[in-house]
Amino acid sequence: MSESRAELLTRLERAAQQIRRDVFRALRAGGGGHVGGSCSAADILSALYFHRMRVRPQEPEWPDRDRFVLSKGHANAALGAVLAQAGFIDPAILDRFYHFDSPFGMHPDIKMAGIEMCTGALGHGLAIATGMALGARMQKQAFHTFVMIGDGELHEGSNWEAALAASHYRLANLTAIIDFNKIAQSGRLTELVGLDPMADKWRAFGWEVREIDGHDMGAVVDALDSLPFHGERPSAIVAHTVKGKGVSFAEDTYLWHSNNVTDEVYARAMAELGAR
Amino acid sequence: MSDSGNWRERAATQTRLAFGQALLELGARDPRTVVVSADTQDLLGIRPFIERFRERFIEMGIAEQNAIGVAAGLATTGMRPYVCAYAPFISARSMEQVRNDVAYARQRVVIGAAASGISLGVAGGTHHSLEDLALMRSFPNMTVIVPADIEEAYQATLATQDIDGPVYLRLGGRVEEPTVTDPAVPFRCGKARVLRPGNDVAILACGAMVSLAVQTSDDLRAAGIDARVINVSSIKPLDRETILAAAVETRRIVTAEEHHLTGGLGGAVAELLSVEHPTRMRMIGMPDAFASIGPTVKVREKYGMSAAAIERACRELLDAR
Ligand SMILES: [Mg+2]
Repeated sequence: MSESRAELLTRLERAAQQIRRDVFRALRAGGGGHVGGSCSAADILSALYFHRMRVRPQEPEWPDRDRFVLSKGHANAALGAVLAQAGFIDPAILDRFYHFDSPFGMHPDIKMAGIEMCTGALGHGLAIATGMALGARMQKQAFHTFVMIGDGELHEGSNWEAALAASHYRLANLTAIIDFNKIAQSGRLTELVGLDPMADKWRAFGWEVREIDGHDMGAVVDALDSLPFHGERPSAIVAHTVKGKGVSFAEDTYLWHSNNVTDEVYARAMAELGAR
Repeated sequence: MSDSGNWRERAATQTRLAFGQALLELGARDPRTVVVSADTQDLLGIRPFIERFRERFIEMGIAEQNAIGVAAGLATTGMRPYVCAYAPFISARSMEQVRNDVAYARQRVVIGAAASGISLGVAGGTHHSLEDLALMRSFPNMTVIVPADIEEAYQATLATQDIDGPVYLRLGGRVEEPTVTDPAVPFRCGKARVLRPGNDVAILACGAMVSLAVQTSDDLRAAGIDARVINVSSIKPLDRETILAAAVETRRIVTAEEHHLTGGLGGAVAELLSVEHPTRMRMIGMPDAFASIGPTVKVREKYGMSAAAIERACRELLDAR
């Protein structure tokens, strides 16, 4: 029997909570890390890996796999969590976050299965994803390329170089997801350098844009299911999110962009995220 | 290739154009060859490639960071990207993309960096590229090649097919680069080639300085001094064997490059010899200053990048015996 929509959304929401729990598992093992941006991205990562993307965890280099680039690489704990849950990597790696000689550090590294590119220096992922989408077109491959970009990351001008090129080359096989949690390391974007109107910027660069609540699983699924939004334009999903989503003490504050995760913090977070 | 035989004529003594001609050949040999331009179609002579392989050409516009990032992304899909760029901009503006997306991620991206050194002399210091070898050489996984003439530029570009990792190919500008290498002695990555024999002193040169080193050697020979000339086009990996043999056999080493004295060929040779076989050296290149504006040869001469200066350096070492 096929899965109903309600069942699908429940499954994805549960998987997203598992990602958040595994983020804290990794961060406790590492002593701390990027709580805020990992939790704001969790719902979207769940929908990508457990609903939308065609991947083979047992064959991570499968040539026709959909590509995912985490341009906001500091949320690597969340990416590791989703890769573990999907079966790309042994979940035991989560306990080696930041550890000596581990493939699992603060930022994605192609040393780890399922990681497409070394990212985390901000403003690199969109250009890389644009190259992947061009490579797919040249080799007549059907895979879709997704790139998740942080909002603060969009201060880097290199993003806009790539945004220009992707629309110039009409890359309908490319989707950028902006994790728009309105906060960067030092504070609110409106108090740093503002990015509004976010969606209009992407439209002006020739992208087809949809704005969603990045924590409304139904909206996330609908957006991903509607791709590409336009047959001759790259798609942008501006996902309004809450930094630290799901963990009350970390929500909507720059203080939990990155912070220590002690046993006590871990226990508080797990209490809110629901035990297994 | 039907028309590859005429490539020499079209390269017109300029390494940057030989690179473009070699891409045409690579395009025919390997369907994965893709050329990425940063508004550099004529600078690297790639219009013939574009005409012939339109679907494997990508113009990125004046956006070097994007050109490198896109090339890295292409490489992950199995394509073989060749980025055509200005040396001063691709080495400095997009250095983080080169380091992270290409070198660290070990993607097979080849960078054709034209207008290097002070070939854009009249353009001023903003457009001189005198630190690119130091920057590129410092990245693990990176291969760094400085062809001396069109023969070597063409061969080295073809040779990138067999290099499993990123490559920085340093090319000249709109200046004449006389042929000094023997087309019959094929370019091999990591191998320096001896162009003149001699056991009194050895001149290790790269790029535009190689022809000046040859001229110096020929002049010195008339005076009874045998100066070995070695074309060290492969800056990384360095041909340790050939360089150490020169140090042992001549006991005097002069390096010559169109690059800052910090971190380039001279630096690489000094790093090797100071550990393995300390040898008296003189280094020809750009001192710690931004170069003047002016015609390339005049600016080179002002800072000691001339045959006369190379000869002086050789004689200094010989007098110190
Ligand atoms: Mg943010």
